[in-house]
Amino acid sequence: MNLPSDIPATRRPARRLWLWGLLAAPLLVLIALAVMVADCFRLAPEARTLRDELMLSSGAEWQRAIVLNANALTVGVIRAGLSCVRLDPEARAAVQSVGNAGVGVYKLASDGPPPDRAVMLAAADSAMAARGWERAVGVIDGHDLVAVYLPEKDISARRLKCCVLVFDRKEMVLVSARGNLEPLLKLALAQPGFSAQLQNLAKR
Amino acid sequence: MKIMIRYPLAIAILAAGVSINVLAGPPPGQVDFGKLAPADNGEFVEVQIKSNLLSLAAQLVEKQEPAAAKLLRNVELIRVNVIGLTDANRADMVKRVRQIRHDLESDGWDRNVTVQEKKGGDVGIYTKTRGGEALAGLVITVIDPKDQVVLVNIVGDIQPEQVAILADKLNIEPLKDIGAALKDVAPKDAASKN
Repeated sequence: MNLPSDIPATRRPARRLWLWGLLAAPLLVLIALAVMVADCFRLAPEARTLRDELMLSSGAEWQRAIVLNANALTVGVIRAGLSCVRLDPEARAAVQSVGNAGVGVYKLASDGPPPDRAVMLAAADSAMAARGWERAVGVIDGHDLVAVYLPEKDISARRLKCCVLVFDRKEMVLVSARGNLEPLLKLALAQPGFSAQLQNLAKR
Repeated sequence: MKIMIRYPLAIAILAAGVSINVLAGPPPGQVDFGKLAPADNGEFVEVQIKSNLLSLAAQLVEKQEPAAAKLLRNVELIRVNVIGLTDANRADMVKRVRQIRHDLESDGWDRNVTVQEKKGGDVGIYTKTRGGEALAGLVITVIDPKDQVVLVNIVGDIQPEQVAILADKLNIEPLKDIGAALKDVAPKDAASKN
């Protein structure tokens, strides 16, 4: 019967675990913060695919001007912070609608002949199709190229993703966003003049 | 033994599902205009709105405007192509649009309206019926030999005069112009103006 002497022996590892836990917690927080900060300068996967394919198909050299990304965690922190602030309903709905969003701006490194936009668009279509995205809008006008991509499946007001490309001969801007449109839709439907146009359409 | 039966059965059901999908093909009102590419320095607009986005638009208006939502739900696909004409592609594109019209007529599409203007503008509106009453699709072809060629395919039960509603609702600029022109055109008046 040496049970009393066993009890302290079993408590020691538990204390050590607590100690390790206390030491590891700040480290884990630091790592999470580092990942979060690194993610702020990295585009969403679909936008990266689009960027890589456009750069490759253009046959030109590009320079990164700026890349900013607000991931779900960052947006959540911003949303939590703004919940204490008095905001216009429109602004609040906009904040609530954004799940995450990112923008990347890239510039052509040299002043050579402009890349073939039709080739760029075709290459981008193929790359995005391989990821399950399709182009909803494509415009080539003058020196500009604009394309909007949406996922082939799983589009709803609650879960909307899109990826937008704008190229104006020298600069390429990529925007990716995911969000929940419901707060914005509710706000839009609450506007007095919103349905006036639709009433005429419905009567026809 | 049960497992031995279950797996081949599951595979057979899956295979049947896949083959039915393959056999189903595109809906009857859908037209493949083929690969359309812009000419060098030419204008090019392509809008393709599928049922997923259309149902999202329908959700937007469902509570307050059920009729508009119903119209949107009747449509499965909207495709609009605008190809700017240059000396390099003018002849080819005009020939291609005429070929598309010819193919439509061969495939049982009804030519509802044909307008040939003195300046060379040429508009054709084609519809395909499904089961006698409902429309399966609508095709609008516009040749403006100086500027552009416009091809529109709307899959679903929609009358030509309702194009303006869709264009306004979905804010598709090239379709707005056509929609405005079609507002006064009765679908069954097979008019021809030479």
